Amino acid sequence: MEEKFEPKIAAFVCNWCTYTGADLAGTSRLKQEANARLIRVPCTGRIDPVFIIKAFENGADGVLISGCHPGDCHYNAGNFHARRRWILFKNLLDFIGIDSSRLYFSWVSASEGKKWVDIVDGVIDAVRIKGPFKQYKKMNKEIEIPVAVEEGVSVK
Amino acid sequence: MNELKQICKDALTEKKARFIIGYKEDKNKRVKPFIAKTPEDAEKLTFSHHAVNNLAVYLSRFKNNIDGKIGIVVKSCDLKAVTALIQENQIKRDDLFIIGVNCSGVVLDVAKEFNKDNTQIKCKYCQAKTPPYYDALAEESKEFEMPDDDQAELMAKIDKMTAEERLEFWNAEFEKCIKCYACRQVCPMCYCEKCIVEKSEPQWIDSSSTSRGNFSWNIIRAFHQAGRCIGCHECERACPMGIPLTLLTRKMGMVAFSEFGYRHGTSLTEPTLIGTYSTSDKEDFIK
Amino acid sequence: MEELIISNDNLKKIVHELLNNDCRVIGTTAENKFKEIESADELVLNPGSVPTGSSFKEYFFPKTEPLFFYKQNHSNVDLFDPIPDKSKIVVLGAKPCDAAALPIISKVFNWDYKDDLFNSRLDNSLIIGMSCHYSDEFCFCNDIGGSPENMKGSDVFLKPLADNYFKVTSITPKGEAFIKEYQKYFEKDLGKNKPIERKVENPKHFDYDKVKTWLDNNFENKFWDTAGEMCLGCAQCAFVCPTCHCFDIIDEQNGSCAGRRAKNWDACQFSLFTKHASGHNPRDNQEKRYRQRISHKFKYYMDKFDEVLCTGCGRCSRGCPVSLDILQVVEEINSLPENSNSIQ
Repeated sequence: MEEKFEPKIAAFVCNWCTYTGADLAGTSRLKQEANARLIRVPCTGRIDPVFIIKAFENGADGVLISGCHPGDCHYNAGNFHARRRWILFKNLLDFIGIDSSRLYFSWVSASEGKKWVDIVDGVIDAVRIKGPFKQYKKMNKEIEIPVAVEEGVSVK
Repeated sequence: MNELKQICKDALTEKKARFIIGYKEDKNKRVKPFIAKTPEDAEKLTFSHHAVNNLAVYLSRFKNNIDGKIGIVVKSCDLKAVTALIQENQIKRDDLFIIGVNCSGVVLDVAKEFNKDNTQIKCKYCQAKTPPYYDALAEESKEFEMPDDDQAELMAKIDKMTAEERLEFWNAEFEKCIKCYACRQVCPMCYCEKCIVEKSEPQWIDSSSTSRGNFSWNIIRAFHQAGRCIGCHECERACPMGIPLTLLTRKMGMVAFSEFGYRHGTSLTEPTLIGTYSTSDKEDFIK
Repeated sequence: MEELIISNDNLKKIVHELLNNDCRVIGTTAENKFKEIESADELVLNPGSVPTGSSFKEYFFPKTEPLFFYKQNHSNVDLFDPIPDKSKIVVLGAKPCDAAALPIISKVFNWDYKDDLFNSRLDNSLIIGMSCHYSDEFCFCNDIGGSPENMKGSDVFLKPLADNYFKVTSITPKGEAFIKEYQKYFEKDLGKNKPIERKVENPKHFDYDKVKTWLDNNFENKFWDTAGEMCLGCAQCAFVCPTCHCFDIIDEQNGSCAGRRAKNWDACQFSLFTKHASGHNPRDNQEKRYRQRISHKFKYYMDKFDEVLCTGCGRCSRGCPVSLDILQVVEEINSLPENSNSIQ
């Protein structure tokens, strides 16, 4: 029996806008799919690309990053700095051959609950079509418990 | 040659520099980094096609105990690292006594003579044989025949590959990595007191040389060099496993130029690429 | 026992058979690298080649290997042993400076704790050494008890003869059993193939006893302030070295409830190597770390295990990004007066 694939999405969201926007979506009782795990950060400028790498390492099939619209940053310029970093990071992923289309970016303000729902659902649907991120999961081969061992007797 | 020795000797005698980071030739005729502390030491200083090291890597070590100026012998490519360190506020221009040397290419294989086939990759696209600024200039400028830039060809080839082929190419390269961190240690721009791989709460990058650990180390190293690499190719030269590391850093430098028109290590005052932003940066990938 | 020889072609036939018998064959290739070869044609035995960039220690002491795996099981944690590596390993074309390293590091892996992972690989291995016809300014095997014909660490030893033949000597019972198993490929030595003469000389560089005495008495000496001054603190030297054996043990997670404990290469030139949890670092600069490297190799290991922790292969110096040459450092120590503190 083949299990239906449910993607895991790690969503890094800014405390001041998208997180509040997602909250608004909840209080407005808007329906959204439950595959995205929200990680609240103080600003998109706080997101080090190593977070994205770590998310993929730990089994994320897609990563969504969302923050304040340009000009709306609580700290004035955090999102501008972040945007510059992502341009470089996406180019690097492309050059190495990692599917950078599994990385999604959006600007969602505190009042855009509906936009948040649309974006999350869109990302989840897109990743569901792409399937599991096998490229990256393969890299865990040395760290995974070998199947032969797991089926045998475990030592305590 | 006497000119370089004389300049350094004078600088040390007249206390223009407390010591001079330069090159000396050992008894096996290997040219290696050396610190001249006295005018007599200056006699040992030398420069040749075999002076491959980028000595700017030593600057970060001395930045906190400055008691007089640091003298440093630099080629034009190495000077970019000095400029970048000044630009990134790691060291002050006034604390340096820069002895520029006219360079006509350095060797790839130090055991062999310099010639067209034994040239560092960086020399194949070198723009300036003479350092743009200095406190003293030594060595005569010599013309040399620039070989073809075969790295650019390889880069174009990689660009044409499919994503799967590219990943396969890089996985095969990263698999070789043994995590000796020679790439980090020789890099003048890697001056963090605590590297991201040494941060263990949490362990952001696995310290093991597994596929995962090697991949994340190399990708993050390349990212931390994005728009900061000055192209001295020391990482690739130092890598005992022969990983083409500069393909990544050079590519990121090209991206920095094509996206933002920025080249690191070319201006003492311009804000750094990551240290600034523009409201008109492209955002067609953001919904 | 009668004298035996083998042709290069027959040696390759043995390799072919070994590969068919699920044996891991580690040999030197055309790029002069040790590699787990997939076909006998890849093997290139050249006694005149420079020692490979990296030694073959990774096949006995891998750069990373699991000690156990863990997985959360409700409120308990299950532990799993890794699959033991039982495959037979044959190393072909090891230079005397490579092969000699195994018995040396075996002493530390069998000192207070017996390292099963290392031992099982060593027990399942067969080392076929080959005399060396190479020497350059970095080689110094003969200064520390080795030689280009040294058979230490080899089970079978090959000496090149004319017309692509090798003279075969078996050294251990393992080696004898190997020759017996594949005896159809060996021929009697009728003296037809003349030995190839070694064209290079290995000069004498230093007197090891003198160096050891100096190291015994000069832990605090001005010499150390400049010896490692230019060292950048990477681990190129340690990781390509056939005798460097330091390791680190770390836990690594995979997802949220599972992971492994691993043993990884570590090196004394890293600043983190001796850093205490308190933040204090007893070897807080590169000069002290370089002193440790030299002292461990030429003094401490001798004190503890009666061996020099070095085989004189010169790999560390050939590859050093700043051309720090271990031989020149030791030669300099050799030239220092016995207690040079007094004349500082």
